[in-house]
Order: sequence, then C-alpha cells, then structure tokens
Amino acid sequence: MDKTVTKPKKMFTFISRQAPYGKDRAQLCLDAALAATVFEQKVNYVFSDDGVYQLLKHQNGGIIGSKTLGNALEALDLYGIEEVFVNEASLRQRNLNPRHLLIKTTPVTNTQLANLILKSDFVINL
Amino acid sequence: MTILHTISMGPSSKLLESCLSVARENDALLFIEDGVYYSSELASESSIPKHLLLFTLEEDLVARGLQHSILNEFETINYRKFVELCILHEKVINWF
Repeated sequence: MDKTVTKPKKMFTFISRQAPYGKDRAQLCLDAALAATVFEQKVNYVFSDDGVYQLLKHQNGGIIGSKTLGNALEALDLYGIEEVFVNEASLRQRNLNPRHLLIKTTPVTNTQLANLILKSDFVINL
Repeated sequence: MTILHTISMGPSSKLLESCLSVARENDALLFIEDGVYYSSELASESSIPKHLLLFTLEEDLVARGLQHSILNEFETINYRKFVELCILHEKVINWF
C-alpha cells in the first residue's frame, strides 16, 4: 500500500544565545535549524543575548582554526529561513545597531519574542 | 609577586567580577577566547579596572570581528607576547 500523507507543517523557533567560536553551540544551533528546513518545516531563527555577536561583520574564524560562522549565516536565506529575528534589547546592551550586522534581521522586543515562543510548536534554545 | 590572570569568557559570564575579587594591584589581566568581548566597545555592562594591566589577544579579536572596536584601556598582544607574559609573572591563573 502506497499512501503519501502530508502532515501539516510545524513551526520551529531556534533561539541562538551564545557567542560564536568560544563554544560550539552557535554552530550546532545553525546546523539544527538548517536540518529542520530540509524537512520543509516553518523555521524561525532568533539571535538573542550573546548570540547577537554572531552577526558582527568582518569575522575571520580561520585565524583561530575555526570555520567563519558569519559566512554560514549568510546562507540562512538560501535554506529558506526567511524569518530571522534579533532581540533589540540584546543589541542595545552591547552598543550594537542594525548597521553593525552582517545580514538583514527583524528586531523584536522581549514581548514579541515571548509571543513567538508561545505560537511555536517547538522551541530549541541554545 | 604578580599574577597573570587569563579570562576566557565574555561579560555575561561575570568572570571578571570573580577575578577582581582576588586580583591585586600590579597583577595583569589577559583576555582570550570569548573573554575578548570584555575589551570591546560592544561589551555589555562591564566595568574595567584602572589599577591593573589589561591585555587582549589579537587572534581572538580578529576571529570575532572585534578588531575595530577595542577599548583604549587594553593593549592588543599576539601569542609571542602571551608567552612572555606567562614567563614574566610568577603565576598564571585561568578563569574559564
């Protein structure tokens, strides 16, 4: 019996809260999100807390023997992750503004972030 | 006797506060790995001590795209100077 069942899409929200390079969580979070898009799920990506440091321009991971995470982030769009958010309070606390950032992101308040979490089926918080 | 303290996580770790609670005058602080965020204008809520020597590691700054936002209080050093600092100080304490 060959039955193709199309399940309704689930909404995944990935919250990336760690700076790049020091630990591997930033890379893991990105890998997990890209994997979710392969299964054609609705994926939101949020940069919050120290995770906003991932968005800085002029990174060069090669100098410390790492892959440059910033380059990989530019691929978010290609993988079909269109909803990329950044916590505006986290930016402000670090004297950052959207001009400093490598890719286009939508600023969100903590309240908006709470709502996003509420309406998501799965939240991955790294 | 002077001590070299290395700090390898950023301001959200509160490692600097822990370090400063035991650091003495003329000790040196070297910020490495994610610790280099402390030495950037883009650091959140850190109060930088004035009575200590402050160093930050160039390679880790460049990797993170911080090379243009270093605070004046810090001297940027390379690995060679890192080794020199280890030799010059009687002890090295790692904060991580």
